[in-house]
Amino acid sequence: MLRPYIRDPLPRLLLLLPTTTYRTAAFVEAARQIGVELTVASEQSSALEAANPAGLLTLDFEQPERAADAVRVFAKQYPVNGVVGVDDRTALVAAAVATKLQLKGNPVHAAVAASDKYLQRELLAKATVPIPRFVLRNLEEDPATIAISISYPCVLKPVRLSASRGVIRADNAQSFVSAHARLRAILADPETAAACGDRARQYLIEEFIPGYEVALEGLVVNRRLHVLAVFDKPDPLDGPFFEETIYVTPSSVPAGLQAAIRDCADRAVRALGITDGPIHAELRYNERGPWLIELAARPIGGRCSAVLRFGDNRISLEEIILRHALGMAIPSLQRERLAAGVMMIPIPGAGTLREVRGVAEAKRVPLVEDVQITAHPGERLIPFPEGSRYPGFIFARGETSAVVEAALRDAHHRLEFVVVA
Amino acid sequence: MAAAEIRITAEPIDNQRCKFVVSVPVLAGGVRRFTTPDETNGSPLAEAIFAVPGLAVSELIVSGNIITVVKQSPAPWQAIGKAVGNAIRATLAADVPAVASAPRPASGDPSAVNDDALYEQVAKVFDEQVNPMVARHGGRVELIDVQEAVVMLRMGGGCQGCGMADVTLRQGIEGMLAKLVPAVRGIVDITDHTSGANPYFQASKK
Repeated sequence: MLRPYIRDPLPRLLLLLPTTTYRTAAFVEAARQIGVELTVASEQSSALEAANPAGLLTLDFEQPERAADAVRVFAKQYPVNGVVGVDDRTALVAAAVATKLQLKGNPVHAAVAASDKYLQRELLAKATVPIPRFVLRNLEEDPATIAISISYPCVLKPVRLSASRGVIRADNAQSFVSAHARLRAILADPETAAACGDRARQYLIEEFIPGYEVALEGLVVNRRLHVLAVFDKPDPLDGPFFEETIYVTPSSVPAGLQAAIRDCADRAVRALGITDGPIHAELRYNERGPWLIELAARPIGGRCSAVLRFGDNRISLEEIILRHALGMAIPSLQRERLAAGVMMIPIPGAGTLREVRGVAEAKRVPLVEDVQITAHPGERLIPFPEGSRYPGFIFARGETSAVVEAALRDAHHRLEFVVVA
Repeated sequence: MAAAEIRITAEPIDNQRCKFVVSVPVLAGGVRRFTTPDETNGSPLAEAIFAVPGLAVSELIVSGNIITVVKQSPAPWQAIGKAVGNAIRATLAADVPAVASAPRPASGDPSAVNDDALYEQVAKVFDEQVNPMVARHGGRVELIDVQEAVVMLRMGGGCQGCGMADVTLRQGIEGMLAKLVPAVRGIVDITDHTSGANPYFQASKK
């Protein structure tokens, strides 16, 4: 029986879901699993909002304080007990709402710092967290002049984009000028510029740190970082662009080094003032130790979280996040025993996707749990660095990270993307 | 009516299910659901469809001008759909009611809230409330079936592949059915969202 349409004392969770997120299904399902009243807020109105005013809300995600005011009004009629954002932008709104309604969450300044690569680096540097050397520049400055004054290799980065979009390595003055032109074109796009706000005309130049990259997934509970998983990224990320492919956990990094990586992430969390909620960090390590590359106050992106299961009941990462936001008991933060991995399917080339062949065959590869094609026929595929939308995801689980990685590669080889120019 | 005047469009849902949209009313008011040949007495259209060779019908739903056929045969609809269309056309051309009205459930029967009745109620909610609203986003929601009080639906247009389809389903449709048809036990979305060519909201972030 569907839950009766009556008011009841269940806690209400406000879930901030951008209409373009991949994470809708996972979070909505997690809310159903724990049986809370759910209100979904998006930046554009749902077609059915009028039919369920308690469950659907429209908020201006570009104006976190205004959104928080709107939630305060909403909460007078439908009391809200917890708030969760799912990406960088909604993490800011969640912090504003949490502050205004005195709910569990990050202070606004911490969410701002986590979503702004420059502010983040300033705070991390001040706290002596190991990070690449960096400098903030304006796009209007002459790139040829800058190019002769910096060290190589370096990386150009937009200040407020995510998913490695617009991130370009330059090895010399010539490639710097070329990368600059490319980044400038990316940031000229009105929608992209709007996403970057007052940082749309700025960019970072950062020292390129050679080394092996890992991702760390964590939950901060009352200022204390709990590491949920450390993912290896077995494909080298040396540029010139930084399209990710495979994440596999547990990490093969030696235990002592993993402890140093965890310590580095913990110091970064404290430096940014993050107090509660999920974090996703990218770190590198080399002979000089671990380096914090990025830290976001949100969970892992895309559909990658599907590989994470915790405790005897194999609960999802989303369920942990929602339970934490509502102050509910969390059965376990211990990841399952099996190794697990996900491949963000590389963008096969620029053009229009006609069809994807071999999906059924890829799904039959032993250890592969699912192959999800998220690009639709007729969709324009845009490679990195201009694009950042992967055409799909492959998931696998097995006894060791090595066999999981092999299964992911095997499944990927069976896929054929038909793309026309 | 002359058989030639009856137009029938086959809309396969998947290899098991196909919806046949008929240009004339088949059952005015209500819904009939047949799961065995024994239930088809007095309904020549249902008898004829169950009798189509090689089809192996497991379920047949008639509502308004729509006939939904669920088959066990592995044969593709392209191969077998024409025979179903011929059976529909032949029975509608005859001068007798194609489908008998649903028998009234015995009073006091605990199973009186049956799937047919639910189908009818849910179809009304979809027609009168859900679809006019989702149409604003270029979407539509089709009621495919009700089995043991579980609603099976398929999303189309802007809803198919939409990044917010789960929100529409769980926060919108489910809430409406909980309020208006409380006997519904659950909802299953059978949409192939990967085939959505024009989703209203498209997931685009990593």
